[in-house]
This record gives sequence, C-alpha cells and structure tokens, in this order.
Amino acid sequence: MTLTTAPSTASRPGGGARPSSRRRRRRYPRALLATSTLVTLIALIPLIFVAVYTVGVGWDEALRLLVRPRIGELLWNTTRLALACMALSAVIGTGAAWLVERSDLPGRRIWNVLLVVPLAIPAFVNSFGWVSVTAAVEGYGGALLIVTMSYFPLVYLPVSAALRGLDPALEETANALGNGRWRTFTRVVLPQLRPAMLGGALLVGLHLLAEFGALQMLRFPTFTTAIYDQYRSTFNGPAANMLAGVLVLCCLLLLLGELRLRGQARYARLGAGSPRPAARARLGIVTVPVLLALAALITLALGVPLGSLAHWLITGSSTAFPVDTLLTTTATSVGLAAAAALVTSLLALPVAWLCVRHPGRASTLLERGTYFGNALPGIVVALALVTISIRYTETLYQTVPLLVIGYAILFLPRAMVSLRAAIAQVPPVLDDVAHALGATRTGTLWRVTLPLIARGLGAGAALVFLAAVTELTATLLLSPTGTETLATEFWANSSNIEYGAAAPYAALMVLISAPATYLLTREARNSR
Amino acid sequence: MAVAAGLVAVALSAAACGDAGSGSGSGSDKPTLTLYNAQHDFVEDMAKDFTAKTGIKVEVRSGDDFELANQIVQEGSASPADVFVTENSPAMSLVDSKGGFARVDDTTLAQIPDSFEPSNKNWVGFAARSTVLAYNSTALKPADLPASLLDLAQPKWKGKIGFAPAGADFQAIVSAVVATSGEAAAEQWLKGLNTNGKKYQGNTAVMKAVNAGEIQAGVIYHYYWYKDRAESGANSKNVELRYFGNADPGAFVSISGAGVVKASKHQEEAQQLVAYLTGKDGQKILADSGAMEYAIADGATNNPALKPIADLDPPAVDPAKLNGPRVVELMQRAGLL
Amino acid sequence: MTALTVRGVTKSFGSVPVLEGIDLDVPAESFTAVLGPSGCGKTTLLRLIAGFDDPDGGTISFGGETVYGDGRAVPAQRRRVGYVPQEGALFPHLDVAANITFGLPRRARASRDRVAELLELVGLDAAVAGRHPHQLSGGQQQRVALARALAPRPSIVLLDEPFSSLDAGLREGTRRAVAQALRAARATAVLVTHDQGEALSLADQVAVMRAGRLVQLDAPATLYRSPRDAAVARFVGEAVLLPATISGGVASCALGDVAAREPAPDGPAEILVRPEQILLGATGVRARVTDVSYFGHDAAVRLDLLPGGPAVTARVHGHDLPAPGTEVRLTVTGDAPSFPVTTGAVPVTTSAEVPAAR
Repeated sequence: MTLTTAPSTASRPGGGARPSSRRRRRRYPRALLATSTLVTLIALIPLIFVAVYTVGVGWDEALRLLVRPRIGELLWNTTRLALACMALSAVIGTGAAWLVERSDLPGRRIWNVLLVVPLAIPAFVNSFGWVSVTAAVEGYGGALLIVTMSYFPLVYLPVSAALRGLDPALEETANALGNGRWRTFTRVVLPQLRPAMLGGALLVGLHLLAEFGALQMLRFPTFTTAIYDQYRSTFNGPAANMLAGVLVLCCLLLLLGELRLRGQARYARLGAGSPRPAARARLGIVTVPVLLALAALITLALGVPLGSLAHWLITGSSTAFPVDTLLTTTATSVGLAAAAALVTSLLALPVAWLCVRHPGRASTLLERGTYFGNALPGIVVALALVTISIRYTETLYQTVPLLVIGYAILFLPRAMVSLRAAIAQVPPVLDDVAHALGATRTGTLWRVTLPLIARGLGAGAALVFLAAVTELTATLLLSPTGTETLATEFWANSSNIEYGAAAPYAALMVLISAPATYLLTREARNSR
Repeated sequence: MAVAAGLVAVALSAAACGDAGSGSGSGSDKPTLTLYNAQHDFVEDMAKDFTAKTGIKVEVRSGDDFELANQIVQEGSASPADVFVTENSPAMSLVDSKGGFARVDDTTLAQIPDSFEPSNKNWVGFAARSTVLAYNSTALKPADLPASLLDLAQPKWKGKIGFAPAGADFQAIVSAVVATSGEAAAEQWLKGLNTNGKKYQGNTAVMKAVNAGEIQAGVIYHYYWYKDRAESGANSKNVELRYFGNADPGAFVSISGAGVVKASKHQEEAQQLVAYLTGKDGQKILADSGAMEYAIADGATNNPALKPIADLDPPAVDPAKLNGPRVVELMQRAGLL
Repeated sequence: MTALTVRGVTKSFGSVPVLEGIDLDVPAESFTAVLGPSGCGKTTLLRLIAGFDDPDGGTISFGGETVYGDGRAVPAQRRRVGYVPQEGALFPHLDVAANITFGLPRRARASRDRVAELLELVGLDAAVAGRHPHQLSGGQQQRVALARALAPRPSIVLLDEPFSSLDAGLREGTRRAVAQALRAARATAVLVTHDQGEALSLADQVAVMRAGRLVQLDAPATLYRSPRDAAVARFVGEAVLLPATISGGVASCALGDVAAREPAPDGPAEILVRPEQILLGATGVRARVTDVSYFGHDAAVRLDLLPGGPAVTARVHGHDLPAPGTEVRLTVTGDAPSFPVTTGAVPVTTSAEVPAAR
C-alpha cells in the first residue's frame, strides 16, 4: 500500500497524552457499538450453538459418543496430519522465501509468482488432480504431500514479506561481529522471522482442521470428514455435533496461539520498506540443485494437478461439455461469492471501524469475537445454521440469505484483516482537516475515507470472494434446493469417480480464483 | 474501486438470479413439487418425464438416505419436501416411525407386489437392488469365495476386503444382517469387518479398488458392476460378482422406497408423482435408463443382462423392521463410523 | 479589530480538567503563538477553536460572530478556519493540486491559477502540483498543508505544532516560509507549540499556558524580559534565578549588585538574570569555569561562583573562550526583573534544559 504509507502518516508519535487520542477514547458511538455487537453475535452463532448443544446432550451421552476407538483414530489422524503439514510448510515456505528474497537464485521474479499460484488451486482440486492419476496418494503419506503442496504458500507469503521488511543492517552487524552467513541466518534472521513463520504455520493448521474435500477424496479420515460422514448417516444428529465440539476445541487452541502471536508480531512488520536491499547470498555450485528442487516443488504443487486437470479436460470420458449446466453453475457460484463478498465486507466495516477508531476493552472484545470464523470449519457453521434455522427461523431455512450468512460467518476474519489495516492507515486527523476545509460528514466519507480504504475493502472482498467460490461443505448443507455451485457439481461428479465430468468445474474454479489470488498476493506483498 | 464496483454489480445480478431460481412455477397455476432424492440421477429423468406428462414441475434436492430422512424429521411440519425417495428402505422406516408419511394411495400400492411394501403401506417400493460380493477374478477363483457374507469377518480376509460404511447402502445390508442374525452376532461381525476391511467412499470406489487389485473383494450392490460393464468396463474388467443366494444375509435385496411427505401442501400432486414412479411409464424409464437397478412393478421388464429378480433367493426380511439409527449406533460401537 | 475572542472556556475529559477558564484575544492579521509544555491543554484549545470538539463552558467568537456559546455550536465545516496539523496530514490519495483545492467549491477546484498562486505564496515550485504527498519532503508537505489551509481564504488559520516533526535543518526554513506566507495572505494565525524559540521568533504575541490555564499573554520581547513568574521565566528561555535582597532599586545577590527593574519593592526576592547578561571580564565577582559548550555562533559557559557560591551559566561570543578550570570575573549588564519571595529562602536554580517538553 504505497499510497497510504506516505511519510506524513508513517510515524505518529506514540504520545498517549495527545488530546486527539484522548478524544477517541471517550464513549463509544452508540449506533456503531450496537451494529458491531450484532455482527459479532452473528459471528458467534455457531460457537454458542455447539456449546449449548453439548451441554444439552448431557454427560453420559457425550461420553458414549466421545470415548470410543473411532474418536481416538480421528484425533491421531488429525493431529499427525496437522503437525506434520505445519512443520513441512514452515520449512518449505521459509526456505523458498529465503531463496527468492536473499539469494542470487536465477529467475526470482518468476519463482516468486509460481510459489504463490498454488493458492489459486483449491486443495480439493489439487487432491482430485492427484487421485485421478494414481490411487497411491490415498492415505497418510499422500494426504500430507497434497495438503502441504496446497498450503505452504500460506507460510511463504508472510515470511517473504518479513524478509523484505528486515533491516539488512542487522545482518551486516552480525557479520561484522564475526558470524558467518549460516550463523547469521540462524541467530539473527530466523528469530526475526519467527512470528511470520509461526503465524503462517498456524494458519496452515487452521485450514487443515477445516479441510474436507481434499482429505475425503484421499480417504484419510479426520474430524471434518467424520462429521460429514455422520451428517450423511444422521443429518444433524448428536454424534455429528459432538465431533464438531471436539473439532472446535482443536481450532480454538490454534486460534489462541495465533492471537498471541499477532500481539508479538509487531516488530517484525514495523520495518516496512527498508531503504536499501540486502546483499544476496551467492548460491554458487548449489544453484543447479536448488533450481531442480524448486522445479520439483512446483511440479508437485502445480504441474501434477494442472496437468491432470488438462488431461481430463481433453480426454474427458463423459461426452460433450454440458455447456448449459456449466454456465448456470458458474453464474450461481460467482453470484453467491459476490454476494458473500459484499455482505461480509459490509458486516466487517462497523467492527473494523470501531476497533481502530475507538480502541477500548469493548471494541477489542467485539473484534476478537469475529475472529472465531477462522477456527470454524464450514461443516460446523453449516450444521449450526441448519439446526437453528429449522427450529427458529423457518423462513430462512434453505435460502440464499442463510447460505450467505454462513459464508459471512466463515469469512468475516478475512475481510476484517484487510479492513482494519486499511482503516488504521487513515489517521483521524484527516477527518479533522477535511471538516476544517468545509467538507461535511458524508463529503469526508466520499472524498477522503472511502478512497483511502477502497483498496483494503477491495482486497478483503476479494479474499472473501475467493474463499466462497471454492467453498464446499457449507454450500452442500445450506444451499437451497436446486442451487448447484461449481464446487458442489465438481464434488458430485468426482464423488461418483466421473473425473472427466468433474474437470471442467475444477478448471472454472481455478480460472475464477486466479484474479482474486493475484490481487490478494499483491496486497499481501505491499501491505507489510 | 473498480473491483468493488464490479463485485457489487455481480452480487446484485446474482441476487436477481436467486430470486428467479426460487420463484415457483410462473404462468401455470400448478404447484412445483419438491422431491428429496437420495437415489441416483435416473430419478431426475423420471421427474422430467413426469413434468412432461402432467405439467407439474419438480425441484430436486439431492442427498443421502439418512441425511434427507433425518432432515425431513427435523423439518417436521415445516418441511418443504413433498415426495421422498431413497435408495434403501431403512431411511423410509425412519421417516415413517416419526409419522412423517401420508398413506400411499391404494391404486398406487396395487401397482407393486406386496413383498416390496411395508406392512403399514405408508410408503411404497419403486426399485430394488441386490447385495453382491464383487471380487477380483485374477486374485480369487470362485472356489475361494466365502459361502456367506458373515464369513468376511474371519481373519483370513484381513486386509483383503473393502466396503463403504458411511453410505446408506452398506448400512442397509448391515440392517439385514441384524434382522436375520440378531444384534449380538451382527456386532461381532462388524468388529471383524472393522479389523479386516478398508473403508471407501461409496460403492464405485470399492469396485474400482477391487478392479485395481487394491483389495480382493468388496461388498457392493449389483448395479454398479452392470452399469460399468455396459459403459466401458474400465472399472470392472477384472471384477466378477458373487451372488450369495440361499437366503443368506448377503443375498439381501434392498428396496428403494417412495413416499408422500405428510407435511406436503400439495398432497394430490405428490400422490400423482409417487403413482407415476411406481407406474408403467416411470418403471419403463427406470428399466431403460441404464441404471441397472431392478424395476419391480407388476409386469415390468428388466434388462436381460441382469440376473432375474426371481432367481436371487434373498432372506425374508420385513422392510418395516430394518432399523437405521440402531445400525448406525452398532457401527459406531464397532468403530466403523 | 479582534479576529478571535475566547472567553472563560473550560473543558475536561472525564474527571480530568484540561482547560480551566481560558480567555484569549487575537487581533486580526496577527500571529499568536500558544506556548506550553505537552499536556498543558494547548492542543485541546486549538481543537475547540476549530470546532472539532465542543467546550464544556465559555464562548468562542470569530470577529463579531459567536461560533460557540449562547446556545450556538457552529460545526467545524462552517467555521471557515484553516487547519494545519502536525505532520501536515495531506490526503495521501490526492496529488498536491487536489490537496490544495480540496476546500474550494467544486467549480473552483479545476483552476490551476489558484494552485500556482498558493504554491508561490508558500515558496514552492509550481512543478510539485502533480506530485503525491509521499514524493515530498517533510518541509514541502508542511508548506502544501499551509497552502491547502489558506486556499479557501479562511478567517483564521490554526497551526498545531506544524514544525515539530521536521529535521532541524528543514525547520528554520519552513518556519520562515510559513510565517511569510501567513503575513502575505494577511491571515490571522494561531500557532500551538512547545518550542519557545519558535514562539518568540514567529509570533506577534505569545500566550503561555500551564496546566490548563493561560498564565501570560504578551509580545515576545515583553514576555522574555518581564515574565510573570519564575516558571514562565524558565519556560521562555534559559534563566539564572538567584535569591536577592532588594533595596532602593538595587538587588544584592551572588553576582553582586544588579539593577532591579521596576517594579521592585524592597525586601527579599528572586531575581532573573539571563545568561547573555553575564559578562566575563577582569572585574566583578570571582568564578571558576567548570564546563564550556561551544555552538559556533556562541557558547554556554558554566561557572561556579567563588568561593563555594552557586553555579551559573553565561552565554558568550564564540571566540576567545576560557578553558575549564580557569578563574574569571563576572559582571551583570542591564537590569533584571525580580519576583517577591513570600516564604523562606529561595533556592538557586539554573534552568539548563530550556523547554523540558517532549
């Protein structure tokens, strides 16, 4: 965001005694507080539901459902997959980031793009690409490989941003103190990358806990797939909801870690825009092996899924393209995702505004409340909304609005992150200046505030759009009768092992995701 | 800014789309029926033909047997469903046990043999499928095959067999085992299967695994094999079927049921649809659809490639007695779910 | 004519009083500096004048028009004040020209003439009109901020510590350019600052604030030469404060006899001697040099009066400096103001660090 980090706003003195900040600490504007509270309550619906439900099931029944071999198996599967994938992603993401940012690797610009592109391929499409070629990827090993290939960019992105923001003077000082390059990396660089690395890894963990499609296809049962199996056998029965309770607990654990990190992450991000680029390490004779390793990585992450997708598109066993269905499902997907992006951004706006412009205990609490979406797998949110809407809000049951609310709960944190950052970069003094120059409240909103947060708003909306286009589980459970999206059609076809028929939907999802992914990565790159 | 504007435009058009989609039949005053379909695509072909013949539109919500059955129960009097069709009868029994069905018209019942109807006549069968053991013909010879489905729990099959426990198909087969052998024996058997077997998502995946030699044999329904053989045989060329017969639980014939949801606000039209599904036109579409499931109406003719329904020699099981939730509990205890 | 009148303005945040009855008159086309340490309430006062916040009590008038008080509260956007905040706060999404014309009516915004005119007024090249704020230096940003504030021809311009974030090198030039532009535009200006040098050098009158009160309002020279009390004396410049006994217009103190400025009633008092009044020479009281800080144009010499007297600071020309340890003699030139002492002995204080703010 080069626009908004003009030197004039970059360094505000921290003087808490400044009357302008004192003014902001006064009472919360009532309407804003009420709206934000409402938004947070909506975001908390699934969590409250799971808690209330668990209490309602009762101790004995809960024990019967939770203490059995299957749960142990699921716990073991989920844990070993999540931990291994987080570790692998951290190593691959950090290594690749260092190579691109700090070494004389040939073709760095291209690698930089290629290492982010996997984000545009939903994990279940990646999984489809592999499993339709070989059944060997079924089970733990294959699952680990495929989810790692899908999620390592989540570490790569923040770490490379952190590397770019790192003051090279620190490394030079370490060198001057007699540390070699490796020791400098481990003693100076790595500790500073830790927040970015751990933050990325935790994000990988959260994604993994919520992952359904990819793992279901690879026949690797985790909590999320087991909940779906239970759902298929019992609709919203107690077993499914108890499993959801356990899953939510796991997710909350990771979320807590992530929130704690977020507090410490500051120093790593403050050094935005270091004035001069760091000297690059010479790879020398290892250049070729390193290039080969990166090529192998990209082949695994992009080559195989895209190649297999192309193969099925060309040889598709299932006759001609069903153009009509493709068009209508694309329209439905794009429309739903756009509606989700719009609604989610609108919901995020008051909360983000409140927590940036009126910091305080209440606003922090409300803001944290919206983050739980990060820890809630789509299936948990969907189960809660299905049950609640059947019991209490029949008019919403099986409607587009309910589905969009589900998306909003799931993706609110994505919109929040971008919006918060954007609003934080609009100092309130700009409002004062505009008012002094005669601009009215609305005038200020249109001429100053909105233009300044437009990019953040757009980036947040793009993130939500991207997530909603490829969302599967909540869509399966919540969509109105007759509403088919690219993801659900793809899922229906690939579940029937009709790979050729599934391929066009997968390709369309990748195509639609691509621009949003581009926007997202550009934003992630510039915002730190 | 441009991106935001674009998104807004798309969102608005999508909202408009959504309205058009959910709107009920425009122009005609006939209601649009909502069909909860746990069966395969051929039901949608039947529904289209029904619409062509009667002018009554049908919207289809797809899902699995128990997913949709529980959904109807949960929805209660607010259920948007008018007609419910399943692949297997336990899900019909579940809805029926909660009083979720209206009684089927007598004229409709008269189209189907009594053996494919529950005793209380609250729903009616419209198709059937037979349990089979699909085996890899290079790995196993007919002589190696077990005599009974129950034998698969024996240690010698460890690691060699597969099934799809999360699906209603397999759960129906389990319910037949419970009905014929009793709960205790069934639970023992399930524990054996849990030790011996690999779990797959759906019967096609099981057959594919048998074909690829991943496993030697798997429990599926007959039509997956016939369908694949009829198309390309790509997933079944190494696979042969074993019909257990002999009134073995493994010869269980599962009934696909159709029923009129009691909460339906279009009872008359819903009865019409069920009558169609079990009538001459509907059964013909089923038989010709390539689905390879058995059409069961009196006088219906099935694909000659299929083993005649009269030769299956299934165990005698009252469909009304097949208990889905109890089976799920047993399977949870055995670690299969 | 008075452009701005503040009467009895009070303001508190929660239970903390920030302004306790401020009275202030600002003549038209004058430059007034509000000087005080951070936390004294000066920025709050400015925000109340601008209309960003409302006072708890009192009135504020622009010319004859009441903008706050008597049941009226004119919102900021209708007060026609120019506002130059700390660090300029240019709109980062707009170029220089669009920033400057922000406050003009829609039709006038397209006019390049006004932009060029204002850029010239603040001493900037017309070529910067197309640049964005992040392409400007801090000083340039401040000048553009002033041009933006002046563009709608405001009745009064409020400047909130506009130079505090600038490098020392840029600060002086920017100050001069801003002062010149304000005079050329014949604007009435109120500058809030904690920098006494800035206040004294730029303003026609300086209002000194302390703990929510306005303690003295005078022309810079008067303020420096005749501060109301010792604290103001210290705040507006380096001060040597010595206990003295006044008798018949002469103050006897550790620096000898010094002419006491009227009014100087007989009795114990504290007198204020500015370091530049202390001369090093061949006659006068004895002192030993302890430390010399050399600034080029002049130097500060710290001395201990002998024998065992208090420490004082003298400001001398930069050539021919005594070495630390040498003994010199001191005399005081000119007269010195005095502050009557009410109780007990007066401690000797030398305020070395002039304004202690930040």
